[in-house]
Amino acid sequence: MFTISRRLLGVLALSGAAALATPASAADKINIGILSLVSHSPSIIAQARGYFADQDLDVEFVSFQAAQPMAVAIASGDVDFGMTAISGGLISLADKGVVKIIGGALQETPEIDGQKILASKAAFDDGVKTPADLKGRSFGITTTGSSFHYMAHKIADKEGFDRSEIKVKPLQKVPAVIASLKSGQIDAWSIVPNIAGALTSGPEVVEIGRISDYIDNYQVTTVFTSTANVTDKPDLVKRFLAGVSNGIADYNAALVDKTMSEEETAEIVAMIHKYVYSDQPIEKADPRIRAGAMRINENAALSVASVEDQLEWFKSENLVPEGVTMEKLVDTSFVETR
Amino acid sequence: MSHEATTRPGETAAAAGSGEELRPVPFRGGGFKHRPLGPVAPIVFLAILALWELGARSGFISPIALPAPSEALAALGDLIATGMLWKHLGASLYRLIVGWTLGSLLGIAFGLLIGLFSLARAGLLPLVSALFPIPKIALLPLFIIWFGIGEGSKVATILFGTFFPTVIATYGGVDNVDRNLIRMGQSFGLSWLSIVRKIIVPGAMPAILSGFRISASIAIVLLVAAEMIGAEFGIGAYILMAGALFALDQLIAGVAILSVLGLIIAWLIGKAEKRLLAWRS
Repeated sequence: MFTISRRLLGVLALSGAAALATPASAADKINIGILSLVSHSPSIIAQARGYFADQDLDVEFVSFQAAQPMAVAIASGDVDFGMTAISGGLISLADKGVVKIIGGALQETPEIDGQKILASKAAFDDGVKTPADLKGRSFGITTTGSSFHYMAHKIADKEGFDRSEIKVKPLQKVPAVIASLKSGQIDAWSIVPNIAGALTSGPEVVEIGRISDYIDNYQVTTVFTSTANVTDKPDLVKRFLAGVSNGIADYNAALVDKTMSEEETAEIVAMIHKYVYSDQPIEKADPRIRAGAMRINENAALSVASVEDQLEWFKSENLVPEGVTMEKLVDTSFVETR
Repeated sequence: MSHEATTRPGETAAAAGSGEELRPVPFRGGGFKHRPLGPVAPIVFLAILALWELGARSGFISPIALPAPSEALAALGDLIATGMLWKHLGASLYRLIVGWTLGSLLGIAFGLLIGLFSLARAGLLPLVSALFPIPKIALLPLFIIWFGIGEGSKVATILFGTFFPTVIATYGGVDNVDRNLIRMGQSFGLSWLSIVRKIIVPGAMPAILSGFRISASIAIVLLVAAEMIGAEFGIGAYILMAGALFALDQLIAGVAILSVLGLIIAWLIGKAEKRLLAWRS
């Protein structure tokens, strides 16, 4: 785990005389689950710029390889807050009354480059020029009930062919999907722009469409926490959201709207680089972090309609228990909804 | 283990009293023998299941930690009712049988080569030692490129997983064949092929069969890994799906099917042992 952040906080606390006035023990300790993805950087920025400290929160980051174990860790209380796509696992845990969505994060917006639909070169040459040609083709997904599965079916719905005619292939992990797509084992896939960009720059993969044409206002990721936090510590949840909202504002200004000065942007990128692409030197990581950042909703606003659409899809595919309701899944009292 | 000696104290005392010419020695062999205790295994199973069910019903075991066995049973019932069980089982059994059979046959062939020929041992044994510890799951992305996302990569994962333990069991078995028997064969003028066929292979058979027990279990373990890659049907794919959806009842049902599969295979190998090792008794 990252004890560095705590040490950093300690250094900050020692350097300021004010720190003596407010003892460190007053701060509430929270664990935030992150994946090594640029979309998780608002928490990283909020921590590095002291927005969480302003809210009297002592933050520790816990790294995960995938969204699913993070959801389970939040259910078990080992992690307090996380940000990930709505998966079957998350809804199933919400049905058991242990986790709740409290806000929105990554969202598809028409003016910003969103998720891309990709085809392998072999499939492209074989006639897959637009998403409408995906009828009867294979489509890579990580797991059943993942966001990729949802996107594949939404493409089928909009293009007017049966969902079963797009053959989803569960491959568990993103690297496995990439390997399959590059070698032409699967015909198509959809993915966030920075990964899509890296793939289409090679000869093996071609872009054939955009997800935003198929799903309206797609709320790709959401902020969630344990039901215990929502009911017992609503104040803690509010303070976390206040802190992370400042981080979101900086993230959007630096990477999406690019209204921040170059100097400050570089500073933000350096903060993100501590957790994302940290195995690469900053010169290499810098363009990858900046490329294709998607908008994260200001103040963690949540598109309820999109969440509802996703829930309906899960139910229609029998991937989640029938009794799950929006009330069980979402608590809308913390953020603005739209 | 039961090792009660089969002494009869009354008899010994009587024999000792009657003088020197009649001193029957009590039979001190035996013992260290396993008695078949049929009902014990099911009782242990049922007791654990009953405790588990009781814990889940009383709320001592939270539904997030572990679902009740009755819920897992219901999930299993759904599988049977929808007919999906046979689809999953069929797909998995095909991969298991093909992968394990090919892996075992190749393993025995290489094991015999290593056991019989110095050149093969010098050349192949370090290779086996170097390749055995590589986690086959780590190679999955490569397997996709090499064998495709169809049946090829799944069978290959199981094949590679079962090959190495079989090689080691086989050459270990060959090494452990009683040297005196081989020498006896040589003094009787048996041909090399005869010695291999009549002494070495039967002598190595117990080790090969216990290697089968291990490699069959490894094959079942690897089934889940093998079905990570683009599998629509299969017990492993079912378990992975249940895990991704956090459907714990289905997860336990899938794991239970693997367990039963393991039991059946162990029983089959037991039968094979009785038949192939009949010469020992």
